[in-house]
Amino acid sequence: MRPFVLFACLCTGLVALAAPKKEGKKPAEPVIKVVAPAAAPVAPIGERAAIWHEWTDKEGRKIDAQFCGLSGDFITLQTRDGRTYHFKADILIPEDVEFARGCLDRSRKNSFSPAIIASAAADIDRLVGVVLTANKQALNAPATDEQFLRRIYLDAAGRVPTAKEAATFLASNAPDKRAKLIDDLVFSPSYSMQMFNWMADLLRVKDTFAKGVPAFSFEDWLKTRIAANAPWDKLVSEMITADGRLCDNGATGFMLFDAEMPLDGVSNLMTTFLGTNMACAQCHDHPLAEWKQRDFYQMAAFFGATDGKDEAIGSAIKKAVRADASLPKAAALKVEQMNTFRMEDADKQKLTFPKDYKYKDAKAGDPVTPALIAWSKGDKSLPVYNVSTKNPAQLRDEFARWLTSPQNPRFATNIANRVWKKAFGLGVIEPVNDIDDLAEASSPELMAHLTFVMKAAKFDLREVQRVIYNSKTYQSSASATPDLGKGKYLFNGPLVRRLSAEQVWDSLVVTAVGTYADNVLLRRGDDLKAMALPAGKVTLAEVKNAVDRTKKAFAGGGKAAGGSKKSAGGSSLGLANGYEGDKPVSRFSLMLARASELPQPSPETHFLRLWGQGDRLLADSATNDGSVPQVLQMMNGSVGKLVADVRSAAVMDAMKENTPEAQVTSLYLSYLSRKPTNKELISATKSLQGGLALTDLGWVLANTREFLFVQ
Amino acid sequence: MSILPSANLLRNPEDRRSFIEKCAKVSFGLSVLPFFTRIAEAAESTGAAKAPNAGLPGFGKAKRVIFLQLNGGMSHIDTFDPKAGASKGPGSIISAKGDMQLTSYLPETAKISDKITVIRSMTAKVGVHASAAYLMRTGFEQRGTVQHPTIGAWAQHFLGASHKTLPSSVTVNRSSNHGNGWFPAAYSPLPILNPSDGLLDTKSPVSADTMTKRSGLLAELDAGFGGKAGDENVKSYNEFYESTFQLMKSTDLKAFDLAAEPAETKARYGKSKFGQGCLLARRLVENGVRFVEVAIGGWDMHATLDDRMEDVGGDFDRVYATLIQDLDAKGLLDSTLVVVATEFGRKPSFEGGGRGHHPLVFSSVLAGGGVKRGFVFGASDEKGYAPKESGVSPGSLHATIAHAAGLPVQTDIITPAGRPMQVGNKAAPQTGVFA
Repeated sequence: MRPFVLFACLCTGLVALAAPKKEGKKPAEPVIKVVAPAAAPVAPIGERAAIWHEWTDKEGRKIDAQFCGLSGDFITLQTRDGRTYHFKADILIPEDVEFARGCLDRSRKNSFSPAIIASAAADIDRLVGVVLTANKQALNAPATDEQFLRRIYLDAAGRVPTAKEAATFLASNAPDKRAKLIDDLVFSPSYSMQMFNWMADLLRVKDTFAKGVPAFSFEDWLKTRIAANAPWDKLVSEMITADGRLCDNGATGFMLFDAEMPLDGVSNLMTTFLGTNMACAQCHDHPLAEWKQRDFYQMAAFFGATDGKDEAIGSAIKKAVRADASLPKAAALKVEQMNTFRMEDADKQKLTFPKDYKYKDAKAGDPVTPALIAWSKGDKSLPVYNVSTKNPAQLRDEFARWLTSPQNPRFATNIANRVWKKAFGLGVIEPVNDIDDLAEASSPELMAHLTFVMKAAKFDLREVQRVIYNSKTYQSSASATPDLGKGKYLFNGPLVRRLSAEQVWDSLVVTAVGTYADNVLLRRGDDLKAMALPAGKVTLAEVKNAVDRTKKAFAGGGKAAGGSKKSAGGSSLGLANGYEGDKPVSRFSLMLARASELPQPSPETHFLRLWGQGDRLLADSATNDGSVPQVLQMMNGSVGKLVADVRSAAVMDAMKENTPEAQVTSLYLSYLSRKPTNKELISATKSLQGGLALTDLGWVLANTREFLFVQ
Repeated sequence: MSILPSANLLRNPEDRRSFIEKCAKVSFGLSVLPFFTRIAEAAESTGAAKAPNAGLPGFGKAKRVIFLQLNGGMSHIDTFDPKAGASKGPGSIISAKGDMQLTSYLPETAKISDKITVIRSMTAKVGVHASAAYLMRTGFEQRGTVQHPTIGAWAQHFLGASHKTLPSSVTVNRSSNHGNGWFPAAYSPLPILNPSDGLLDTKSPVSADTMTKRSGLLAELDAGFGGKAGDENVKSYNEFYESTFQLMKSTDLKAFDLAAEPAETKARYGKSKFGQGCLLARRLVENGVRFVEVAIGGWDMHATLDDRMEDVGGDFDRVYATLIQDLDAKGLLDSTLVVVATEFGRKPSFEGGGRGHHPLVFSSVLAGGGVKRGFVFGASDEKGYAPKESGVSPGSLHATIAHAAGLPVQTDIITPAGRPMQVGNKAAPQTGVFA
């Protein structure tokens, strides 16, 4: 097959990309395209250079901090100690508000130009088109403005638009209004919130790890990195190579999750970052795939010098605690665990083949020599396979370098496929956690193109999503759930799908309190520092101090108190103290913050869990399965009361209108992002005269299937 | 009609293909049918009676199953498989009814042990909580690419729904976590996270008149999208709404209401979450729910095993004995199988006041549903380290439960991904446990 070339302007010179071989299928027509706009951007794509600045408020107080974001009235800054500040920008002197605007413009300017976005999106459309045509199918009709509006808000901002946001977009006649809305949304704080939800499911973000050690610093770290738009390769590398305690370095959270089960940890990260399922090979040669048990152990050996738990420190602290019976038990345990768990590399690789190893290719009990897996013959000759295994303390870093390299045979494809699924409801290769065989893709050429875009964007997920959202394929009307038993889905458009738990919740939150919720940020990591013991010898006095500090921090006044069991329901004062900037509104015992700004995951009884938020024990644990209790909660439970409440932002917006027709239209825009049809308008206004109130209409619209689904 | 054909139909390639197609349709996201489907038809009509195991002892005796999950890993040596010598725990060995020995942590169970069968030769390889719990719950090792169903979902597949309005499977004190596996989401158990709350939000907070008006308008306004839904997932939500309206009108909801139990009974089960959960389980199976899982944590006794056996173990002992006695007194025990399952046992050796994880040998307990009364099946070695005889894998335990419930074991069904699967993962049932 001939190579095809894609918007090569992004790279130095032309990049030729060979389409992978397809077997047993008629190959699609090769696509050849070279685009070279006159002014190719040279600015690096990916994470923006940090902008440090001394900020001054109107009272003359100064703070040295990094610019993290500006949205609406709110500015987000981060100081060098890692603390995030989120406040109304108008307390700053006007020059600094202006400076912040400049920062925002700078970060936008660094992104892909409209010409490049258009070209990469057109390549997606062409590749999808080739496969559709070859199978005598066609793209669905273009999505209407109303359909597009609701879809892009849900996908890029994680919630439906408010009535005002919807009306503004629908009324606009600007020819580029869709592209503009895409850009506005992917640079909004809501974008970071929905990206956090998506990554939290993939990375198993939990409030606690091991036996209840609080892991808020990991959440804070991830939120900060997402807000800074850290590229995926960097983010992953930072997590894999992170050293130290969680309270000092939030990035350690990912590895510490499996600190007590390091082999499972290796299986998990292979699935999460490479879409390769080696879990079977952990115990025996994989029955269906190529993976041998030896392959698994050789990969795991890259973590054979890594240790997540310092037992010596642990027992020293235990001893100190035992020596003083007056120390409060719970706080002492927290101090012990926070200081015991830490990522560190020894100078010896300790992994050996298991006692029950039964194959001839290695001997039970022998030390394992680290070696990388390969998917096809040529892989091992790639320069990135040239890793050094000489220094055990460096093994983890070497692994991360191989893992996150653009040359890794699966790293870019894995994340490109997952990002595609996020937008379309289905991966180009399914299941997304098993992409060993690229020929399984519904279109290998499309998969190759998306992989290419991912690399060209230097793993900037925002840029890749901008490309996808601007494609005609994404902007087509949705297909009904396909019957995969009859064959692969060829992407005539995105799929009709039920909103994720977070999307339903965040949409209900915005209909209840409006965009206020977009600026309510939960950050609880700071208090964990109270648990840290100073480096060096463990003394009783130090332990005592740390326990005292911890007790204070967790006694209700502290931010981290929200992690305690009692307050995990999302309604306690303890959790409220964890919010930066504005505090969330609470109604019917529901704390009305966005899903990303609530406990991770929410407790089992919470709306979010009932609607399928995962337990985060395994990657990809979220579901969109239905159940009767969901419906009971939506109709009769606290959420049923929330949508029928007079304080609801959607209802209050509607009440501002003067005629029943305009009121109904406003509620339709709030819940369904569209205007009612004439028939609907008549039914609704009639029932308003027949004894129902606008609050009842809010309840009715929230309970329509249309509200629960994205088209 | 159930959309799933019975096992014997699947031998016909034509039917196999259509089954796979239907499964593919329903397994992607949501299913077509919520839990109000048809009531179970006679086993004969669905082919379950033609199961290869139909002629073996104990087949189909268990009309209901209560599956108790002791999360954390129950120490076999400190409960149902006491050892003298170096492995001995802090509890002493006592003689129990039914000619068996238990530890002194189980005094109440010792009084009803003439009604139970203890399996002392459970054996597995997985020593990690989540994966081992998954294995004990489904009979399959956890895989990244497939979710396996619980016995409740298998039973609904082979036998149909167990009641016209109540769900066929319920989980108590735990979420349902994909209990339907590859079967339709409608087979997913209904989770009751707090037994004393029962089923939440079954009453509308507004007047009946307002509710009627609201639902009328809802039907009108949703006619556009919901009404003409060409999408399977939208259709299933239509049915979930329909089912919910039906359920709210139904008197069967009483099955979830512990307040309806006599005070004396409630007192016997006790106030713990496990006690309340077991009482709820009994009410549910009594009223037509087929499969109830009750979870209870606290068994991961790495430290202070003695204290925690008194505490966690003591609660289990009282509640379990009450449940067995209560079912027997009501004449339900012979047709109700009660399973005690835990993800693994604990090491013969002590480390820091407790014991580590030990999957190589552990114990499970069966009672009722045609199982022998006062019987010990299999044995561990002298130390309690490995099975001495008749090793029983989690898959085989599941095949045994399935056999008792009247399901065809060692019979392929085809999953939506086209993979042949069997309840109990190809293992044979332990017919030796049946009377």
